[in-house]
Amino acid sequence: MATRLDKRTVVIVGGGLTAALVARQVTAKGTDVLLLERGYDRRKSAEAKLPSQRDELRWDTRGGLGQDWAVETYTVRHSSNEEALPARRLGAFLPGEGLGGAASHWNGFAWRWAEYDPTLRSRFESRYGAKAIPRELLIQDWGVTYAEMEPYHHLFEKLYGLSGKAGNINGTMIPGGNPFEAPRRDEYPQAPLQPTEAGLIFKAACDKLGYKAFIAPSGNSSGPYTNPDGMKLGQCQYCGHCEKFICEAQAKATPETLLYPVLAQRKNFEIRMQCRVTGVDYDKDSKRATSVRYVDMITGTEYEQPADVVVLAAFTMSNTKFLLLSGIGRAYDPVTGEGVVGKNFCYQTNSGMNVFTKDRWINPFLASGSTGTTIDEFNNDNFDHSGLGFLGGAGISANLTNGRPIGSRRLPPGTPRWGTAWKQASADWYAKSFSLQAQGSSYPHRENYLSLDPDYRDAHGEPLVRITFDWRENDMKMSEYCTGKMEEIAKAMDATILGPASPRRAPFDTRQYQSTHVTGGTPMGADPKTSVVSQRLQHWDAQNLFVVGASVYPHNSGYNPTAFLGALALRLGDDLNGYIERPRML
Amino acid sequence: MPKKHPVGFDRRDVLKQIATVTGAAPLSANVLGATAAVATVAVQADSASAQGSATAAPSPAGYQSLGPDEAAFVEALVNVMCPADHLTPNGVDCGLATFIDRQLAGGYGQGKNLYRRGPWKKGKPQFGYQHPLTPEQFFKAGITAVNAACKARFGKEFDALAPQDADLFLRDLSAGKVTDPRVPLGEWFNELAYPLFVQACFADPIYGGNDGKVFWRMVGYPGLPATHAHDMVEFRGKPFPAARDPKSIADFS
Repeated sequence: MATRLDKRTVVIVGGGLTAALVARQVTAKGTDVLLLERGYDRRKSAEAKLPSQRDELRWDTRGGLGQDWAVETYTVRHSSNEEALPARRLGAFLPGEGLGGAASHWNGFAWRWAEYDPTLRSRFESRYGAKAIPRELLIQDWGVTYAEMEPYHHLFEKLYGLSGKAGNINGTMIPGGNPFEAPRRDEYPQAPLQPTEAGLIFKAACDKLGYKAFIAPSGNSSGPYTNPDGMKLGQCQYCGHCEKFICEAQAKATPETLLYPVLAQRKNFEIRMQCRVTGVDYDKDSKRATSVRYVDMITGTEYEQPADVVVLAAFTMSNTKFLLLSGIGRAYDPVTGEGVVGKNFCYQTNSGMNVFTKDRWINPFLASGSTGTTIDEFNNDNFDHSGLGFLGGAGISANLTNGRPIGSRRLPPGTPRWGTAWKQASADWYAKSFSLQAQGSSYPHRENYLSLDPDYRDAHGEPLVRITFDWRENDMKMSEYCTGKMEEIAKAMDATILGPASPRRAPFDTRQYQSTHVTGGTPMGADPKTSVVSQRLQHWDAQNLFVVGASVYPHNSGYNPTAFLGALALRLGDDLNGYIERPRML
Repeated sequence: MPKKHPVGFDRRDVLKQIATVTGAAPLSANVLGATAAVATVAVQADSASAQGSATAAPSPAGYQSLGPDEAAFVEALVNVMCPADHLTPNGVDCGLATFIDRQLAGGYGQGKNLYRRGPWKKGKPQFGYQHPLTPEQFFKAGITAVNAACKARFGKEFDALAPQDADLFLRDLSAGKVTDPRVPLGEWFNELAYPLFVQACFADPIYGGNDGKVFWRMVGYPGLPATHAHDMVEFRGKPFPAARDPKSIADFS
């Protein structure tokens, strides 16, 4: 029997980025907020202190900061006629666990998305005609516009002290920035990061080809910075232990560095860590979420926590899982196309290639998580897709993020895998090579979705989330095209050796890290038939239940997902203030 | 450095000599056990005097997971994959066998962060490890199967192969050309043994491998503390001097 606790006004599930931003807005109005996080605060632990922070094996190779797969993993299959198997030690992506969530170990790439991204279906239909979108692609408008989100992007960037170069201020194009950038009201809070040697080589090749390379916007702090809440960032030390690591130098914008310390000062905010949420109680008659169930991981006690408002702000898969476990909303059925929970599951269609330059010292260890030089000419719908046979695109970059020698040692094709020749190639090329990346869009396909696994359970006895996913035709064609563009740039570099330019192809492989940018499952939108939550992130079947996170993305763009999340979460916080004052469908 | 062996040390030779002395012609497991322990102690004593100025804190001698036969296999494996040459000492002297032993005995080998609930089914390779065994147990099942395959092909176990034969055999193993009725040997090598080998070379020396940061020196990875805000500009496109003298966790502990 669960112990029933006293009712709280707002209960937030998850202690990551979106939870902190929602709580910031809501607690500012004096409203009572309780936050439940399954992990712990690692700021004073080995994860975040020298010298133990600089341990590639522990934090990167062994995934020491991520979700414990022994407790909970996902089952995976490539299509719905297969039997899913558990990914027993998942390599493909890294859900966070602990204060800050996955936003603790992010790289720092902080893009505003394209102006047309939230209205993607309308964009494609107006540009290519109503029949341009294949039936199997569930591309939909999000119910918001970029203009509505701009003030929240602005606030998020100030809070996070982003470093970058504006390309488009109120419609005026700024040299040196991204010429495809959505219009922004002002410059980035801080100057861009230093380019790497690889970035300079990449830019020179792009200049030759007529592409406009720029330094990517970043949450790695290019200098010392104080945000509007008085929270400080130090200057990034380009230490090469950023993504998959917690910054020990307060130089990477993260929730636990910039947001939770502010919340901790507010008397109307409480966070309970090592509390694992198991579901949401739902009253079908009143169509309301009544309470959140959780287990205190220290005592093992089960609790029922009543709430006026519940916010699901957990990792992508977890938001979907809570709704499915709790029976809130109708599960998506890929056969009929009906139902919504679990729908629009997307990933990130990435590819890369290695470049070896015997006369250039690349020094890959001199890097931050997001020292990227990028072109946007082939991203998303920044180019004309007429006659190409696919939709979407990829940002093409030389993102040099680290020189960690277990995982980031590039070897020329044909190098033996051990022995003296292997060692010699490692010695010859470690400091004189880098890779290019094409980070591509991932569009929702009717066969890619999340559901509950019928057989496999987590350590607490709850069903695992089952991922049905593979790389489908549209995204593979996109990857083929954009990888070809990447190769053209590589060929313009006077490199000594080029590795193979391999587009992303099926089958999806759970073993290899690709990106933690998994999105969808609880898509937002203006139509309850195709979305789980409204354009205000309010659940269509429970007006006091809100969902925020990459799970609400109806598609994934060729940009990293974080900054849009920040804007959505801040807007949700403001919306909740209005809802608490006068509860209604927003 | 307690686990050091002189370059060119061959466990099999030492074992043979001791076996001859004790009159045990075919090496039984018991004799191997006893002699391996003797050999290790003897070599350590020798090595400790030869290497008076160790740079990193010494790790305790001996193996935590591997028995003598298993150790002979792993030592042979790392010496084939990392022969002594102008770049590094042999694999054993680089600590690679110690690293693998410690990983098998530690959390990784015991299944930490590994989902171990049934039902157990074979799946596509893309879904990864699907064995009920812990990685340590699977590693050792692989040793047995690899040795059986070696016996069938060469008439002797892996650690007795000439280096060229062992190298060719590993190539076949990695290409999935060596099979066993129960142990998927291609997967065993490529997804368990090989990654452990690479990690042994390049992980921080606190884990027992990469002894003296020899692999970091070899490639020019400077290690810690990596505060490069100024280096980033000053050494962009230039050789980085600190890469010649890398620093590890122990240097700051």
